[in-house]
Amino acid sequence: MIDVGNLIQGTRIHGSLYRDPSVFARELDAIWYKVWVYVGHESEIPRPGDFVRRAIGLQPVILVRGADGKIRVFFNRCRHRGNMVCHLEHGNAAAFRCPYHGWTYTNNGALIEPTFSEGYDAGLRKEDFGLTPLPRVDSYRGLIFASVSPEGISLDEHLGGVKEFIDLFMDLSPSGEIDVRTGIQKLRYAGNWKFMPENSMEGDYHGPFIHKVAFALHSKRTGFDVSSLYKNEIPDVIRSIPGGHMVEDYRKATIEPPKREPSPARQAYAAALERRYGPQKAAQLLTTIAPLIYVFPNLLYLMTHIRVVQPVSVDETYVYYQPVLLKDAPDEINVGRLRDHEFMFGAAGFISPDDIEIMERNQIALHAAGNEWLFIGRGAHRDKVLPDGSSIGHTMDENHIRGFWQHYGRVMSLPAREPARAGA
Amino acid sequence: MPDSQVEHFLYHEARLMDESRYEEWLDLWSEDALYWVPCNDDDIDPARHVSIIYDDRERLVQRVDRLKSGSVLAQQPKPRMRRLISNIEIVERGSAQLTVHSNFILGVARGGTQQIWAGRSIHELRSQGDSFKIARKTVLLIENDQEIPLLQFLI
Repeated sequence: MIDVGNLIQGTRIHGSLYRDPSVFARELDAIWYKVWVYVGHESEIPRPGDFVRRAIGLQPVILVRGADGKIRVFFNRCRHRGNMVCHLEHGNAAAFRCPYHGWTYTNNGALIEPTFSEGYDAGLRKEDFGLTPLPRVDSYRGLIFASVSPEGISLDEHLGGVKEFIDLFMDLSPSGEIDVRTGIQKLRYAGNWKFMPENSMEGDYHGPFIHKVAFALHSKRTGFDVSSLYKNEIPDVIRSIPGGHMVEDYRKATIEPPKREPSPARQAYAAALERRYGPQKAAQLLTTIAPLIYVFPNLLYLMTHIRVVQPVSVDETYVYYQPVLLKDAPDEINVGRLRDHEFMFGAAGFISPDDIEIMERNQIALHAAGNEWLFIGRGAHRDKVLPDGSSIGHTMDENHIRGFWQHYGRVMSLPAREPARAGA
Repeated sequence: MPDSQVEHFLYHEARLMDESRYEEWLDLWSEDALYWVPCNDDDIDPARHVSIIYDDRERLVQRVDRLKSGSVLAQQPKPRMRRLISNIEIVERGSAQLTVHSNFILGVARGGTQQIWAGRSIHELRSQGDSFKIARKTVLLIENDQEIPLLQFLI
């Protein structure tokens, strides 16, 4: 077995962590099939029968709201001979019918009856052949997580200190609720999945190098000048949160608001925030950037959208960008969020493609074995560690990346999941 | 208007895109241009649903400015591209505006691999002098619901 402990040494990590297929295989068991993994948002399945098809690691699952209104996650696999029972990506269904031999399950997961049932022994109990539910499903503010492992810490414990920042993001909505039924930009890149969280959460350091032109175009368009973030290193922004989570907390990083007069929709939005949160907090929400959030291992909240990281193999990753609309905000604000999103993100955006190109080049470069170590030491001499184990650094520091790897090393070193037992 | 003129215009646009002649391509567009590449499906509502590209004239100019800036990493080195335009049908013929459907297949060579992109384009062409301006172009990628690689060139 790989000794991950030797590959992660404080301010340096070993290149094989991104490149070695046996590390990837171990990650499936130790991370993807063990911890809480984000599978979707409640707004995607508002009505009974609504479903979306998702994956946890390489395992296909269905997230569905049953006729009883309850949200469940099932392995997408027929109990007869293992075919995929749901091939549609999303939809509404009273029942899932396996196309192979017609076994049909209600949207609560119960087997209605095996087909040509007269040929089965009278002792066959259909109760024993329902769709297999994921052993643990829980949600926080509409974000639904599931775990392949029957045992482990609660979702509440897993999220821990990152909940405060998820709340802050949700507070951008005048109702406190979001709607992610906006479609999904789907990308693939030839690189390891861990590049995505790392790169997504350290834009203040790489921004001036790879996003300079896009940032300039963006500030011209919106009136928000983000270049001050990297011109003046701002303390207490970058947070490492126990559990491998990362946050860029911009509450203290005020950005010069646009000089132009706010549009009527913007004024109505500001008034709605004031009504809900009071003038002080509303002003803060309107003049700072919402926190950028990474929830270990696969969920990112970045400005306009929810981003989901989907591993495929050690050197291939899918990434899903799903814009977030603010429920009860004026339409013009939400349309503006979509257009803002397309400016920055997706295959043809002006920002994320440069990140993805960097990740693909990173994957190639890590085959060079002259010096196998990557250095993640920025700000290590000034780490502020809090009693709960969080650490706080300046805008360009790498304390959160060190925290991610420490957690990763811990999870990877725990005893692996017991292989699934034979039987029902 | 003879159809050969429409064909000529589409072939000309294709050549400008293949050869990354950004400014000349931008000149083909009207001031009220809309350049749209829907995401997930061909008939989404862009006010509720994300697109791959949804550019008004201002955004189109920014797209070209960025591509020209030399800072786009996926353009270092520049991909080599050639596309075929075919199945051209004029589906609506107004007094000053035409709606033209066509199919394309595009090869993009870069970094040791060749990608193939395919789809259908819908051009709304407005007569201007002895040529046209593109008032609106919608590109329906056959892969618009798949996991796609970067799209950092003109399509």
